[in-house]
Amino acid sequence: MKRAYLMEMTIFRDYIKQLMGVGFFVSIFVSAGMGSIVAAPAILTTMFFMMGCMSASAYDEQSNWGAFRLTMPVSRRDVVLGRYGVIVTLGFLGMAAGWAACLLILALGSAVELPFGLSDAIAFDEGMFLGAVFSTAFCMALGSLIASIETPIYFKFGQNKTTQWLPMITVLLFVGPMLIINGTGILDNGSMSFGNLASLLGFIETPVGVATCFAIFLAFTVVVLGISAAVSLKLYEGREL
Amino acid sequence: MTIVESRGQVPGAAQDVPLIEARGIIKHYDGFSLDNVSLSVGEGEVVGFVGKNGAGKSTTIKALLGLVKLDGGEGSILGVPSSELSRPVHAGTKERIGVVFDTISMPGHLRVADVGRVFSHAYASWNPRMFEQLTHDFDLAATKQVKELSRGMGMKLSLACALSHDARVLILDEATAGLDPMARDELLDRLLDFVAMPGRAILMSSHITSDLERIADRVLGIDGGRIIFDLAKDEITDEMGIARCRVAEFERICASGIIPEGQLRYRKNDYGIDLLVPDRFVFAENFPNVPCDRMSIDDYLSLTLKGGVR
Repeated sequence: MKRAYLMEMTIFRDYIKQLMGVGFFVSIFVSAGMGSIVAAPAILTTMFFMMGCMSASAYDEQSNWGAFRLTMPVSRRDVVLGRYGVIVTLGFLGMAAGWAACLLILALGSAVELPFGLSDAIAFDEGMFLGAVFSTAFCMALGSLIASIETPIYFKFGQNKTTQWLPMITVLLFVGPMLIINGTGILDNGSMSFGNLASLLGFIETPVGVATCFAIFLAFTVVVLGISAAVSLKLYEGREL
Repeated sequence: MTIVESRGQVPGAAQDVPLIEARGIIKHYDGFSLDNVSLSVGEGEVVGFVGKNGAGKSTTIKALLGLVKLDGGEGSILGVPSSELSRPVHAGTKERIGVVFDTISMPGHLRVADVGRVFSHAYASWNPRMFEQLTHDFDLAATKQVKELSRGMGMKLSLACALSHDARVLILDEATAGLDPMARDELLDRLLDFVAMPGRAILMSSHITSDLERIADRVLGIDGGRIIFDLAKDEITDEMGIARCRVAEFERICASGIIPEGQLRYRKNDYGIDLLVPDRFVFAENFPNVPCDRMSIDDYLSLTLKGGVR
């Protein structure tokens, strides 16, 4: 697996550099534009998870690389596990770029007076910090969920075919849960009262709540990527290249 | 001493332990099938693989490399079944297999030096000095991107990679396509040097049959997914001939029985009839007035595929 991971990371090296640079500046502008650091690391985390999954598959189909790679001393299992390693690495790099940019803008805001009252808006505040940590963890789970669903499809069908189906898959991914919630009437039958919801949200806003959520989202990420990798292994074993 | 023995092979080893082998490979696709394809490449051998586009050469190579699932038969390289090559336990075997496909099989944004890095991560036996030397010899600048390389330069890069990890067998699919004559000449010399070392072999598909005439020991022909001939190259180029005859001469040759019935292959052209002669020396003794040229692999393939049989 290490060989396949290092091969992919070499292929990704220039792309990662570009993404990190772009992500860093996107974070700065998002934070400045929103007057808050809450969203930027989260957006980048999701974006990098998704881009890791999609762009790695795109490289597979360039110049028959995906088939040629299997003539090298790596197994199909190595390729799959290496791919998930790259996706996770990219996701965490996105998170790091987002946080680095936000910390920079926080430091700038406290050191100099930024225009349009930005210094006051983004001044360090525990609530905003906890919000940023929570949203980052949530988006890590979201990004890994999307990558977990799409990666096995890429491994089964390749990038070209998968891209044709991706819009429908994405729509189902987001509309499906809404339909289930609506269909089961979970919100109407009192099983989730506003009181319960309010107390849950209140707990989430505490440091312990954020830490708990972070742990839950991290566990979710590990589990969902693990299940996805197992499915990908099964699918890629049978793929003809 | 035969050519094969002169390349450092233990006499008889080619027959005993093929380094590359296909036994009755069957693979069905919509509209095309590999039908009972069998071949073997022994130690010290260079085997040329020829056939029309779509005849099954690349599919056979993919089957041998374990990239496609077979519907029947079995392939093996260095004694490992093709179906098991992709298992982690056989990574060591794949270290010893050098492969060149008919395209530059690397993402286009990589630079030549990056390609070396990718291979260095993949192969424990990677020799960076050898790669540097070969890329230098092939005029491949380290900073050049793969997508900027011409087809010929791309093939040189692929060959530099295949020759830099101490491979024992080379499987080359149209590897000389796009190379200029001088580069091809240089490459063929390198391939001959490669196979001269003990324990090595080459399977090489090519449409440039003059390359095979220069380095191959045997030539395999495939058409419609079936092996149609498997002959020593010398049998084709040294023993066989192509007689250029007129209709009357053709009939006289047919009547003579010098070529067994059912094996007489011919091709009509504007000036007369070309006839495949199994032994041009015997033919010349019997028909001294009929011009008989040396057979080329191209002519043999053409007569076999397109010629009439009588």
